[in-house]
Amino acid sequence: MERRMVFTEREEFLSALRDLAREGVSQDRLRVETPFYVHEVDEILPPKPAKVKNFALIGAAGGTVTGFAFTILTSLSWPLIVGGKPIISIPPFLIIAFALTILFGALSTFFGFLLLARLPSVHGFVPKEESGNAFVITVETGETK
Amino acid sequence: MDKPDRLAQVEQDVLAAMKRPGTAYLAALGCSATLFLTLLGLWAYQIHTGMGVAGITHPVGWGVYITNFVFWVGIAHSGTLISAVLYLFRARFRTSFNRPAEAMTVFALLVAGLFPLIHLGRSWKFYYLFPYPTQRMLWVNFRSPLIWDVFAVSTYLTVSVVFFYVGLIPDFAIVRRFKEGLGKRIYGVLSLGWTGTRRQWKNYNQLYLFLAAFATPLVASVHSVVSWDFAMSIIPGWHTTIFAPYFVAGAIFSGTAMVITLVVPMRKILVLDRYITDDHFESIAKILLFTSLIVTYAYFVEFGLAFYSGNPFEMEQFRYRALGDYTVMFWIMIFCNSLAPLTLFVRSLRRNVKYLFVLSLLVNVGMWVERFVIIVTALARDFDPYAWGTYTPSFVEIGITLGSFGLFFTAYLVFLKTLPVLSITEIKEHL
Repeated sequence: MERRMVFTEREEFLSALRDLAREGVSQDRLRVETPFYVHEVDEILPPKPAKVKNFALIGAAGGTVTGFAFTILTSLSWPLIVGGKPIISIPPFLIIAFALTILFGALSTFFGFLLLARLPSVHGFVPKEESGNAFVITVETGETK
Repeated sequence: MDKPDRLAQVEQDVLAAMKRPGTAYLAALGCSATLFLTLLGLWAYQIHTGMGVAGITHPVGWGVYITNFVFWVGIAHSGTLISAVLYLFRARFRTSFNRPAEAMTVFALLVAGLFPLIHLGRSWKFYYLFPYPTQRMLWVNFRSPLIWDVFAVSTYLTVSVVFFYVGLIPDFAIVRRFKEGLGKRIYGVLSLGWTGTRRQWKNYNQLYLFLAAFATPLVASVHSVVSWDFAMSIIPGWHTTIFAPYFVAGAIFSGTAMVITLVVPMRKILVLDRYITDDHFESIAKILLFTSLIVTYAYFVEFGLAFYSGNPFEMEQFRYRALGDYTVMFWIMIFCNSLAPLTLFVRSLRRNVKYLFVLSLLVNVGMWVERFVIIVTALARDFDPYAWGTYTPSFVEIGITLGSFGLFFTAYLVFLKTLPVLSITEIKEHL
């Protein structure tokens, strides 16, 4: 069973959410849909720490390592002196590593987001019920999980 | 009007742009598409006949094609500045410009990416630029600025596309609601099934912040790398340490002008005065003025570096630049980039949208000319008088240059009718 509450006013929605939180309804049973990001929701229902940043860090670090490894190992695989410069020329390789840091960091954050936000969601492509500009709270009643 | 109505009003106003196009729109699209087809025709002619149909030859081997490459990469920069940097600084006026500016970034980079291929002559050998080993297992030379360019520009394009797309996701979900049939399915898939749940918003907010943080260093790095294509050589007029910041400031300057050029008519035709106000234009005019001052300062420093270098080649190069064969171009550049923007110190001119539009056109011209002057004058007169020479672009090069504007505007016009032109969700959030 579900109880669906639809609000057009942000304040009414927030006070209803506050009441639910005060009643001790657990977060797992509440589903909230909003037309835009509402900061107060996070104050009322303190979220778990966001994990997107881990993807950003791993992607970026992976990019740096890949950039240096790629340039250094390929240069060593056929050591050819160009313009009297050292085989392992760190300054130019840094530019490649920098570009790959950003590239891998951004892509990994994006895919991390898809994973964490559970997108793409096939049911949502053409949802049966659109909340539109309304603020919606769905409470799963019945047995708690 | 109370709040729920205002939210619906925003959707209506912004999505009104996506309605069936009028004659003015179709005429503009027709002109742009024709220009683009001219580009394709001339490019085919160049491939068929050979590079001789272009004006570039010894000693000026880099001409209008490379000028266009640098110009368009520069145009892209302001989009990232407005969407990413202003996001991190929480500048409210960003909401009015970020969507068109991000679209501009993506399209400008696509146009820019075309020019190395056109310049290549044998365009089908473009994959030589990619980092893969030859038959004898020799890899590309990572010490070459041209390889840095491939990495910098392709990273920039990828990150810009992701950033643009991510910004659009919640808006796609709004468009989906207004569409029927196939359109609903297409926008539904594009929205990835977005419904605005808490889990989605929380992660989305984090994602947007990180993407902005990743894109911000690109504003400074990409045009620096482009500038090193020149500065890493020993050609007088190119071999200077100021090139990176000089190019970055120029890039933001020209890109800001292009944003004004695009947004002024867009606001008028799509009746978005309520969302893009004169205050917003004043803010962006200040960015234009500020970057103009930096660019002007860089011109002085360039001459100063040459003057104090004690190097006769360097000094001759700068005398030649100001007073030689390309003197007209040089003074057009000074007028458009340094003198005309000074009028923006007057507040009433900063708020005069028509004036800003005309000025932005001047700046676009001035920045294109600046790249031309930097590239061509330095090559036309380097060390040995025996190797001096001048360059005039051929009709093929001029046609392809105009065609690149055709491609850019075609893409932009298609954008106006297919995607929400302003970030609806962000406007709602700030209501």
